[in-house]
Parts: sequence; structure tokens; C-alpha cells
Amino acid sequence: MTGVKRMLMVGIILSSFFVVVGALWLSNSVETLDQVAEHFGATDSPMWNPPIPDYEIHGFEGNVMVNITVGIVFTVIVLVSTFAVGKSLRLLKSRA
Amino acid sequence: MYAATAVFWVFSFRKASKVLGDKQIPLMATLTAMFFAAQMMNYPIIGGTTAHLLGGPILAMTLGPYAGLISMTIILLIQALLFGDGGITTFGANVWNMGVIGVFIPYIVYLLALRITKSRSGLLVGAFAGALIGDVLAAVFAGIELGLSTLSFPYSVSIAVTAMATHHVIIGIGEGAVTAIIVSVLQKTRPDLLQLPKLSPGWLGGA
Repeated sequence: MTGVKRMLMVGIILSSFFVVVGALWLSNSVETLDQVAEHFGATDSPMWNPPIPDYEIHGFEGNVMVNITVGIVFTVIVLVSTFAVGKSLRLLKSRA
Repeated sequence: MYAATAVFWVFSFRKASKVLGDKQIPLMATLTAMFFAAQMMNYPIIGGTTAHLLGGPILAMTLGPYAGLISMTIILLIQALLFGDGGITTFGANVWNMGVIGVFIPYIVYLLALRITKSRSGLLVGAFAGALIGDVLAAVFAGIELGLSTLSFPYSVSIAVTAMATHHVIIGIGEGAVTAIIVSVLQKTRPDLLQLPKLSPGWLGGA
């Protein structure tokens, strides 16, 4: 296995571990900014309805296995997207 | 905030295309995915709130500030568009706080520590301090933005900044500890991944 493939595999394995830990034990999110805003009476009116609000698929809320699958799939999408952005930047450099 | 952040986006995309090497691209993809996943792990702090790693300091210390900002932008964009985590109208402000302040400040503090001390312990102190200062400053900016949002937030800047900064000192200590541990491990096992001078802005002696 090349160094690059090994690095990507380690990244996917560690990321999957983070997703599983996040879904099983550390999923409760009460961020300071949200709490401060709510405490002072700020309200939100979303302009955008995201397809997967709060990292849960509609109809499968609270289903840990679905949440883990969503987390891992989108982590891989982030990895591939970032790789593509990095390659595009290199392409720009080689054309310049 | 979009306009201020856009300046850094343009600058960072131009500079990143020049300094990113073949080794950094898979590293950039791996770290971006890892911190996207790590941001799903929320640990309890004080006052019933939770925190998660931001990842900006490690992105900065391994990829440099330009690619670090691009990585954080990708994370925040996917969170906002697909999961409604962060919002669209606040996207520019979020990238400013976590991508510009949260990446460039830890990077500058770390690099200065590297230049001043040149020792392993100084390096780790720089990594810890950079992450702590970066997280707290990012929170201070968020507090300022919240306090100035007079249409939706009828409280002063000082109230919002105090509330945000207090909690983020604790978050920053956590981020600093994790950052110092990762830098320490990388220094022992893969020192080639900590090539900061090559990835530095010109005014800090880099590319």
C-alpha cells in the first residue's frame, strides 16, 4: 500500500471511529453560542431547509445505526471533495 | 463578514495553489475529513453546554494557514448546506471566526514560538498557546458579531463577548491539549508533515 493510500485509510478509520463515538456517547450538543442566543431571547428563522437537519434523516430520528451511516458516508464525501479541491489547486499551479 | 472573509478566500486559494505539494493534498483531505467527523463529538463543559474540537490549529500547523482556511471552509460549507449546522447567512461570519481567526492566529503564535524557542518544549507550548488563543479570539469575534446584530440580539457586545469568551477558555484548553499532543506525536513519527516555514506567508519568512 502506498503512503498516500495508507494515509487516506488511516483517515477514514479514525474518522469512522469519531463518528461512532459521537453517535453513541457524545451526541448531545448544547453549543455556547446557541445557549447564549436563547438565553438573551434571540430567535432564528431559517432561510434554508437542509436535507439532513441536525445530522438525522427524516423518519429515522434517534436511530443510531442510520446516524453512524450518515456520518461515515458524509465524512467520505468530505474527504473526496477536499482531495478534488486540492488536485484542482495543483492543476491551477501547473497551468500557471 | 462575507466581504472580509472573501478577501482571505481569494488570497488563500491563490497562495494554496502555489504552496500545496503532492504530500499535502492527501494530508489535507484526510485532516479535513477527520475534523469534520471530530466535530460530531460533543463533550460536556460548564453551564450545561457542550464543546467540540474545531481543528483549525492542527490544520494550520500541518497544512499552513491558506490550505487550513480552505479545509475549514469545506467543513463549514457542508455542515451549513446539508445539515443546517451554522446557517447560510452566517456562513461568512462562521468562516471568519473558525477559519480565519481560528486558523491564522494559532498558526502565527505557533510559528513565533518556533522561531523564539527552537526547543521541543517551546514548540509544544506554542501549539497549546496558539490553539487556546485562537479559540478564545474566535469566540470573542463571535460575541462581537452577536452583540452587533441589533435586529435579532438586543444585548450589548460586552455581555455577548463575556459569555462567549468565558466558556471558550475551557474549550481552548481542551483544543490546546489535543493540539499539543498531536504536534508532539507528529514531531516524533512524521516530522516531515510539520513543514511550516515552507507554508508561511511572506511576512513570516515563507513562500
